[in-house]
Amino acid sequence: MSTQAGPPPMVQATGVSKWFGDLVAVSDVSFAIGAGVTALLGPNGAGKSTLLRMMCGLAKPSNGSLTVLGKDPRADVAVLGRIGMAPQQESLLDYLSGREFVELAAQLHHVDHPVEAARQAIQTVELNPDDPRKLSTYSKGMRQRIKLAQAIVHDPLVIALDEPLTGLDPRQRREMIQLFHRLGSEGKCVIVSSHVLDEVERFGSRVLVIAQGRLAAEGDFREIRNLMDDRPLRISIRTNQPRALAIALLDRGAISGCRLEADNLVVVDTSDAVAFRRAVAPAARDQDASLLELRPLDDDLESVFRYLVMR
Amino acid sequence: MNPHIYRVVIRSQISTGRLLALAGLSGVAILLAFVARAADDPVEVATQSMGTFGTNIFAPFIALALGSAALGNLVEDRTLVYVWLRPVPRYSVATAAFAAVLTVVGPIVVAVMTVAAAITGVDDLLVATAVATALAVFAYSGLFLALGLRFKRSLLIGLGYIAIWELLMSRLGDWFARLSVRSYPMSILSDATDVSIRLADRSTLASYIVPLAIGFAGLIYTSWRLTRTEID
Repeated sequence: MSTQAGPPPMVQATGVSKWFGDLVAVSDVSFAIGAGVTALLGPNGAGKSTLLRMMCGLAKPSNGSLTVLGKDPRADVAVLGRIGMAPQQESLLDYLSGREFVELAAQLHHVDHPVEAARQAIQTVELNPDDPRKLSTYSKGMRQRIKLAQAIVHDPLVIALDEPLTGLDPRQRREMIQLFHRLGSEGKCVIVSSHVLDEVERFGSRVLVIAQGRLAAEGDFREIRNLMDDRPLRISIRTNQPRALAIALLDRGAISGCRLEADNLVVVDTSDAVAFRRAVAPAARDQDASLLELRPLDDDLESVFRYLVMR
Repeated sequence: MNPHIYRVVIRSQISTGRLLALAGLSGVAILLAFVARAADDPVEVATQSMGTFGTNIFAPFIALALGSAALGNLVEDRTLVYVWLRPVPRYSVATAAFAAVLTVVGPIVVAVMTVAAAITGVDDLLVATAVATALAVFAYSGLFLALGLRFKRSLLIGLGYIAIWELLMSRLGDWFARLSVRSYPMSILSDATDVSIRLADRSTLASYIVPLAIGFAGLIYTSWRLTRTEID
């Protein structure tokens, strides 16, 4: 478990596990999160949503403890007033307009001026508070933004957002990421889940990597990125000189092993992607080999997460 | 009771299908009243038909359609989170939903059945029908509100309950009848007109108290369930 120096964590998980029958969704996860933006990164089905649901009191840990602002969100209804959440599911109260939906959230949170607060929250997410249309007519991007508006309308201290950028166009994504950072810089604890590595990179924040229900890595995004870059890679090289090129790469120490697959195909293993990238072109030139194709065989996000879990 | 949740549940309950069902069943009640009025023994026929239709069919089916949907729809379409994730006591959510169901179901069913009783021309039946129907609505609404939160296919389960338990099993004997909701409000009608209705042998006190107890039990269970359930 990591702890942060300074003020007490706003969200703290200690040995949290969650299982549904035989399925273990979250396994012995511990972390502490303070103010600022924290990304929850992991492939689909990794347990991110379950963790967020437990943080908001929507689900109870099967084991361990999870506190928000020092309170158990399932036992203490009052602490829910300090939490804002945008769940992953698209479904909304479709018979309400966007303004009514956000106003309802403000009213249930006992906000002093719910109408004004709702207008402001809707404008913050770049929607029109005077739009009379029902939520059933909203596009996916609009639904995402109105979910965000209802999550921030009561000025919560802890904001949990489950895949909030899905369905947004690039400009809206940029705006939303700026909003997350602004909220984080105001001292709020903003937790954003995502399964998209590049998306999380743009958060430029602290990252918790969740894979197979476990906390696979945590820290600054750059550290996590380096870890990912350092993992062993398997690369398929299509060339007219597979044997000669493989020997040249071995001589240069750029690969740790190789296997000839066909007349023009060799599969190589390397634990240093950067060194491999630097060596492959000169080696091909020296051997008078044509590089027809270079293809990483395990560069998908799943394999990256698998590596982080297994390391 | 939370007024904001109350308003939202009321709005969620109004749908074309439900309004059509209400209108259709209301029409049947009025039709039965005219048939009873024209009968040779209007007191006997009116008491039987008001009891059979009002408390056995009209009240339970409408209470099921709206009661099971009040929170059940929020569970099924995964929007309960927008109500649950607020600093609102759970009993307040349950009470608001219960009140919303009663607000929609109560006046319509009670008013229609009272008008039907008036059409029959049997004076003794007027107040008794209003009271019996109101108690039936209260009991069934609480029961089906809880059912909607507890089970995913609550409408189907509720239909099974009404058909198998209330309409079929309750006929098997006095103890089965005691465990059916309908026998209590029907006893009020039977008392009022001195017409004997099958299964309507409950004491006067029980006829009033048991439906109220069932309604409140459903409300209490719903509140408890809201504190325990995991929200999707």
